[in-house]
Amino acid sequence: MDLQSGPHGDYGRFEQILSQFLLKSLHIVLDSRVPSIRPRGGRGRLLSGAQSKKNDKWFSLALGDRPSALGNLNFWHRNLMEPMVIDIILVQEMQSDQDMYVSSGLGTVVETLIERWVVQCESGSPMGFHGDSSASHKKTYKKLIILLRSLYSTMRLLPAHRAFRKLCLSSKGCDFDIIYKVSSFSAPFSRTEEEVMKQYVFIPVDAPQGRLSISVTYRESLSDFNLETSASFPPQIITDYVGSPATDPLRAFPSTDKGFCVTSVPSRGMQSSSSIPFQRPHSWTGGLHRGAPLGRNLPLGGSPPAYPSSLGQYEAASPPTDNYRFQNYRQPNHHKATSFDDYQLSPPFSASPSPSPSPSPPTYLSSGNPVQNRTRGESSPVSIPHPMLGRSPRYLSPNLSDPNRNSLPPLSPRSLKHDPSYQDSPSGIRSWRRSDLTRTGDPSSGIINYYSGQKGSRDSKDDSGRFSALLSSSGSPRVGLSRSSSRFSFQDDLDDSDFSCPFIVDDVDTPEMQARQNVDGNRASELTSQTFGVGRKSQDAAVGALVHMLRTAPPLRQDSSCYSSRSLNPGLEGDAGTASGFFLPRKTSDALEELRVYKDVKDLLLSKSGARFVSKEDTTG
Amino acid sequence: DVEHFEIREVLRCILHTILFHRALGLVRPKDIDLELFEITYVQCGDTELEKKIDEKIEQFIDRVEKHPNKKNQICLSFYEVKNKQPSWFTNKVERLHWEQWNINLNVAQHPKTHSGKSHHSKVLVDPGDNALEERSIRRAALETSLREVLFQIIKFVNEKKDHVPPIPNLEGVSFPYEITISSSSDSAFGMDMFKRMLQTGHPTMLS
Repeated sequence: MDLQSGPHGDYGRFEQILSQFLLKSLHIVLDSRVPSIRPRGGRGRLLSGAQSKKNDKWFSLALGDRPSALGNLNFWHRNLMEPMVIDIILVQEMQSDQDMYVSSGLGTVVETLIERWVVQCESGSPMGFHGDSSASHKKTYKKLIILLRSLYSTMRLLPAHRAFRKLCLSSKGCDFDIIYKVSSFSAPFSRTEEEVMKQYVFIPVDAPQGRLSISVTYRESLSDFNLETSASFPPQIITDYVGSPATDPLRAFPSTDKGFCVTSVPSRGMQSSSSIPFQRPHSWTGGLHRGAPLGRNLPLGGSPPAYPSSLGQYEAASPPTDNYRFQNYRQPNHHKATSFDDYQLSPPFSASPSPSPSPSPPTYLSSGNPVQNRTRGESSPVSIPHPMLGRSPRYLSPNLSDPNRNSLPPLSPRSLKHDPSYQDSPSGIRSWRRSDLTRTGDPSSGIINYYSGQKGSRDSKDDSGRFSALLSSSGSPRVGLSRSSSRFSFQDDLDDSDFSCPFIVDDVDTPEMQARQNVDGNRASELTSQTFGVGRKSQDAAVGALVHMLRTAPPLRQDSSCYSSRSLNPGLEGDAGTASGFFLPRKTSDALEELRVYKDVKDLLLSKSGARFVSKEDTTG
Repeated sequence: DVEHFEIREVLRCILHTILFHRALGLVRPKDIDLELFEITYVQCGDTELEKKIDEKIEQFIDRVEKHPNKKNQICLSFYEVKNKQPSWFTNKVERLHWEQWNINLNVAQHPKTHSGKSHHSKVLVDPGDNALEERSIRRAALETSLREVLFQIIKFVNEKKDHVPPIPNLEGVSFPYEITISSSSDSAFGMDMFKRMLQTGHPTMLS
């Protein structure tokens, strides 16, 4: 280019870099502080697959879809040389009583600025680099890459990150919320504010056209706010499992290193460890959490609180489940990841009570209804089930959405105890596919049985109830969910049997389940499950076997990245490790592979409890 | 002072943070929460890199176990590969180190041996309460200093950017790097360091 158009061309290029820099930094800040800003579901993705990729490439930092709010950048930030001020505001509703379900109008809303980010380009005199402009642009660009990386890391080191994480993890509404405000000027701080705020300035990047800088003024400590979440329990290892007299069979199973996390998921507020095979994605854990404790509660007489009250309460009331106490070391990232996932999974429920007090004042440029956004957003596109009181499957059901189903492995075909009666009873509880397989000799039917819910065909036998209950509790929420019919049986059997069913049947989910049951036309008339009839011991063993099976099953998630909601969004870029296992289509080969795994487990179990089977057969004839 | 069982996490955190800021190819950042501390750091999201780092950390831990009384240091350096004329010095391909990070860890030596490999075991038999309290105090102090270290890393990374060579590879970890482990009382250690100093243009010390 000739000298005349040179400067203009350069400046145009610089403007482009600058505007992308502003957008990217805004994206980073909002993504790391405001949960509601994240694009929900596959909407964003569908809209701009190519565009999103292109955006990711800027500054070599792939952040996923840009929130729609960023599209407004051009609207309200016309002049690139004006500073961009991003205020992160903590909103709390102060209420006199602790009741979370009082509508937000009753309390006073207190907003506190916890962070102020200023991103700007201070125009400086051009340094006369025109002759070497592209090289200088490259250098500037490279330095901006590093700057943005630092910004990204620092966002995770500042105190407000914890508040953000609490917000993300909390399944029910927190008593606080985080919103943001973007403007091009910054109101000066009051003296009191100044005293508690600290400043951090990133080393600016000097470019010929100006100096780009990022600085933040933040509150050093957020302890004043008493940010509550449902979980402030440190991870604990529960050494005595309530209601599991026979742990030996469980212990017999080899414990694997992977996916076994006994530490509690803090966000759940549960004391127990979530011994869910974390190789499986979040939906499992979420459901598991909820289902298992609930089941335990019932026989103990601890009734879960009325459902709408909150997931958190519900979970807190449940005693620890000990199904998985094989191992007691933590999976480094897994349990965290799953904890986030759990949070993601719980959504529709929290939507109903909507305890969060987030107001959406018109002055704010976004974050309209963060709570709802959050809760709505995080759920996979599943119909929200009918809220039934104290029914764990409810939690599970949303997780059973179609995308989830894909990744559902068949339930562990733990035919610990082969119950001959199983053959006779067309119970809906088919997790023990294995038994099914043995009976029917048809691999696929086992899977089908797994999925199909014998809605009406409840097994009169208590066993089936137990079986499915066990299954649900030990397996994954998905498993429990797909067995809609099994749930039915659970429900009824629950009443009948003295077995403490972790899961309660959720009638409403039936239609959903029915849809799922199209794995095969076969109805699991020969569905098994009853193998567990015999008492806790066998059930626990079955549970253990199931867990083992699940643990050894191939992971659904490609990587163990944590709570990034992006990874949860269906149909998100399947590349580079954040693809959610949820949404991978299951192939026959996968199913057959699992079948093989189950068979192996079944054989193992059979060999171990051969005697029992024999005795059972004698009894049941 | 770092406890034996904390080494892995601490090192992972530090190394990944450094690499995250120096991997200038397209990365999809991955947040990792430390179990032992309330710190979240960012990884590049590159599984190969993770593996490599974990390998090196294991090596380091082995070294620490074999030489418990030495000061052990792990060194992460970035270099550029320059093809030079074969000279009397060394090989044909010369590595020009343009940045070097030295991480010195003092591993606390417990009077009682404990096999803290995969999980830390509180094998303290003695004054249980006191020891635990001490440990938690130490843990808190370590967490604070780890956080400071991370801030320092970010600061260093930003302070000097001019020496960073142009990005050769646009994917993931863009610059070749190497991780070496050395112990202070190694006789060759001094020579190693000296050599490296000669080669590096811009050493950054971090301890």
